[in-house]
Amino acid sequence: MKRVALVIVLLSTSLSAQQPAVASRTRAAVEFLASDRLEGRDTGSPGERMAGDYIAMQLARVGAKPLPGHRDMFMPFEFTAGTRDGGSTLTTRGRQPQTFRGTEQLQALSFSDDAMVSGPVVFAGYGLVVPESQGFGYDSYAGLDVKDKIVLVLHYFPEDTDAKTKAALARYSDLRYKALAARQRGAKGLLIVTGPRSPNAGQTIRMTSDTALSGSGIPAATISGAVANALFVGAEKPLAAVQAELDSGNPHVPGFTLPSQIDLTTKVVRERQTGRDVIAYLPADPGSRIPDSGRPWIIVGAHYDHLGHGTRGTSLANKDEAGQIHHGADDNASGTAAVLAIAEKLAKQPMRRNVMFTLWSGEEIGLVGSNAFVMNPPIPLAQVAAYLNFDMVGRMQNNKLAADGVASSPIWSRILERANVAAGFDLATNPDPYQPTDSSNFNQAGLPTLFFTTGSHPDYHRPSDTADKINYEDLDRVVDFAAAVIQAVANVDMAPEFTKVDPPQTGATLAGVRVTTGTIPDYTTEAKGLLLAGVVGGGPAEKAGLMKGDVIIEIAGQSITNIYDYTFALELLKADTPVKVVFLRNGDRREVQLTPAGRR
Amino acid sequence: MIGQISLAARSLPCAARSPWVRVAIAALVLAASPAAQTANHEGDFLTRIRRLTVEGRRAGEGYWSPDGKKLVFQSEREPGNPFYQIYSLNLTTGDTTRVSPGYGKTTCSFFRPGTDEIEFASTHHDPKSKQYQQEEIDFRASGKTRRYSWDYDPEFEIYVYKPGPTPSAAPTFTRLTNARGYDAEGSYSPDGQWIVFTSMRDAYNRTLSAEEQKQLDVDPSYFAEIYIMRADGSGQKRLTNVPGYDGGPFFSPDGKRIIWRRFDTTGLIANVFTMNPDGSDVRQITDFGAMSWAPYIHPSGQYILFASNKLGFENFEIYMVDIDGKKEPVRITYADGFDGLPVPSPDGRQVAWTSTRAGGSEGQIFLAQWNHEKALEALKSAPMRVGVR
Repeated sequence: MKRVALVIVLLSTSLSAQQPAVASRTRAAVEFLASDRLEGRDTGSPGERMAGDYIAMQLARVGAKPLPGHRDMFMPFEFTAGTRDGGSTLTTRGRQPQTFRGTEQLQALSFSDDAMVSGPVVFAGYGLVVPESQGFGYDSYAGLDVKDKIVLVLHYFPEDTDAKTKAALARYSDLRYKALAARQRGAKGLLIVTGPRSPNAGQTIRMTSDTALSGSGIPAATISGAVANALFVGAEKPLAAVQAELDSGNPHVPGFTLPSQIDLTTKVVRERQTGRDVIAYLPADPGSRIPDSGRPWIIVGAHYDHLGHGTRGTSLANKDEAGQIHHGADDNASGTAAVLAIAEKLAKQPMRRNVMFTLWSGEEIGLVGSNAFVMNPPIPLAQVAAYLNFDMVGRMQNNKLAADGVASSPIWSRILERANVAAGFDLATNPDPYQPTDSSNFNQAGLPTLFFTTGSHPDYHRPSDTADKINYEDLDRVVDFAAAVIQAVANVDMAPEFTKVDPPQTGATLAGVRVTTGTIPDYTTEAKGLLLAGVVGGGPAEKAGLMKGDVIIEIAGQSITNIYDYTFALELLKADTPVKVVFLRNGDRREVQLTPAGRR
Repeated sequence: MIGQISLAARSLPCAARSPWVRVAIAALVLAASPAAQTANHEGDFLTRIRRLTVEGRRAGEGYWSPDGKKLVFQSEREPGNPFYQIYSLNLTTGDTTRVSPGYGKTTCSFFRPGTDEIEFASTHHDPKSKQYQQEEIDFRASGKTRRYSWDYDPEFEIYVYKPGPTPSAAPTFTRLTNARGYDAEGSYSPDGQWIVFTSMRDAYNRTLSAEEQKQLDVDPSYFAEIYIMRADGSGQKRLTNVPGYDGGPFFSPDGKRIIWRRFDTTGLIANVFTMNPDGSDVRQITDFGAMSWAPYIHPSGQYILFASNKLGFENFEIYMVDIDGKKEPVRITYADGFDGLPVPSPDGRQVAWTSTRAGGSEGQIFLAQWNHEKALEALKSAPMRVGVR
């Protein structure tokens, strides 16, 4: 599973290995894929290639074939494996020209264009533009002419405003959004500084892993406090004073042109690599095949890539584990093994639709493999009835299986209810098809989707997600249940109708979250509030006395009814500033003080 | 939170219906009652808990067929009718078929032992049925919400469904009651020859005093009493005669007793009672001073499962108590929201119940394995009830 914005994890426990009474249909695949030999199956790595070869072999063994017109089961895609600054420079003109270079002083943002631009610099506050539709007037560019100029803005959003103002502004503070706002107003370059009154003051912003293949149409760089001060030489007020004014939240603090002219050169080095999706299919029973108008394909998928040694940034390894192999047994050798076992089971049953099995790579770096498929599908998507996804299905507890995306088609609840009579899971259905996994690409493409998962756990995105912790007995039950669901879709005359679900209206992003609370949300159980699957050992939540099973219903005065509310509330917290948390424990309403910690 | 209480209860009409308007008002007063801090013992009695119904807005009141292979229940799951209809779910194949006609309001179904018949209550003979459906659909579409109160539609009558001679033949529906006033909440005797049910006919078949008329306008359930009749509808006879809502009657497994719940006249306190099928020898089983309702006797005949909000007004949990009510009841479920309407399977090894534990305010039916031996142990070691009569 791709890391969710708010998984803020983890405590360490060891689960005893379970030995199944009968031979498992999934254990061998999980053990191979999660073994040290595959070194965490990082997209584009030798371990990923080995995993892909193994998957293709297993698919061939059960009788699945390459897609019509294809010679093999591999579908390669290009991706950006990493970005680094390629030697960007900034030079101030004037009597004493100064040139800054080196990532401590100046660093192109990962989505920057490569370019050389020269000219005056206009300071535009926090560079925030809130669309009029939000009914909240805030435009850092109001009254400013930045056409063909270089814009300097502050990172984040005003620091001292009330929660409501922060709430309105935080969602537009993403760096990409600021770049877009500057570009749309005709700026030819963007500089971003973390102001003296903000966390990580004066430091350049760490380059995030960004899988974009090209730039965003504007040269954009982050600069240090020292560089910003050099640009402010001769200005009426120093940066700190200007930021203090802006931090009040007053939308009428105007921007202004700085005295200095500069030459800016940005260069981003994007290392491109190739990953491979593995794709095969079982043809429909020729005698009772659904006509093309009835969408004669179903796609069943899981990603098989993982985090390698965890160097890309979404690892949650603690200090002692950093750099070790991230085995990814649950995430997502479990889903891969499930899909292989489903293929084996369905190969013995006649079906009216073709079933395509897609094992994605590039999921952990941004759903890249499935996106490449959807952008350039080998079978027209208009012929596809539905997409079913399996991501982290190996750690079932208390018989609980989550099925997400149920609102994407009116057919799902009926099919799930019927199939579950025999399977007997404590099924937790969630209407929302916008999930941090490959199925969201198919939802965007207008297909009914279902996403099965057994939820997060303390080993999530850590080296300790190992094969001995998988619950194989229940993983095999997931296989049987899924096969029954797929059979049901395969055999209906009319393809399931697609229902477009409105995306969650929050815009909460990782970019805006600057603190960690050390909570582990439970994704498999619906609750009115944020139900905790656990707390990070030594983290703020544990220190505050929160524990597994607690339901957070309010934090810092913001009421919490779901995980989106929570993400959003986190954006408004400040590190080291205690806030009140209201939660339910066994139905009892309680309050504690929690002191968030900063994150970088 | 109050809204949630009443909403949760929307899914659980028959065995457990109560006057919700007054409940909600009382909740304002009682909402602060603290839940006891106790360890979760649910797993002692219930294992392999699983959600059974998924489709539709809500479902509830699942009752087993005598062979344990089917469950009949009510659910809102068809476009066009915003009211409950009755469905039979085959626990082997997973197939679900609608039992009721598809229009009107229905509730409270039960398999007739030894036959392929199912009784339920319905208003489908009311010429205004479809108009009411449209009005409710329009109302919901308007985005408005009302505080729920079950309307005790006086058109509710008890029907028997009999499938046609072939799978494609139309079923027949035989009407058993014909008295103005809500007739519902029926269930069969183990030999299939008798039906106990609830009726509010007493409010319509005589001249009411001014005070009674006022009572009827506020809450007709005040007039609800337990009745018995033969399976063909003949010999209808009243068994109870106490003001306040008497309802949700079921026979004991040996057919020698009837168990039901009785509300006091305020509609806030309910307790479980048993009596002989002729109405004699009435015994009170529970005394929580809370809303204890929806009782059902385990097939062993040794104990009763029921639901109560003893731990908090909105927090209904399932309890069990020995058949004579001499011991303190033992708590079974430990989940927020509603757990109620427990019905053990005929072999006594499973329990079906209605719960909001999947989230939201609307109930769905859950199933779990039932540990009968553990239940007997727990009952044995339970303390004697204080002031037991």
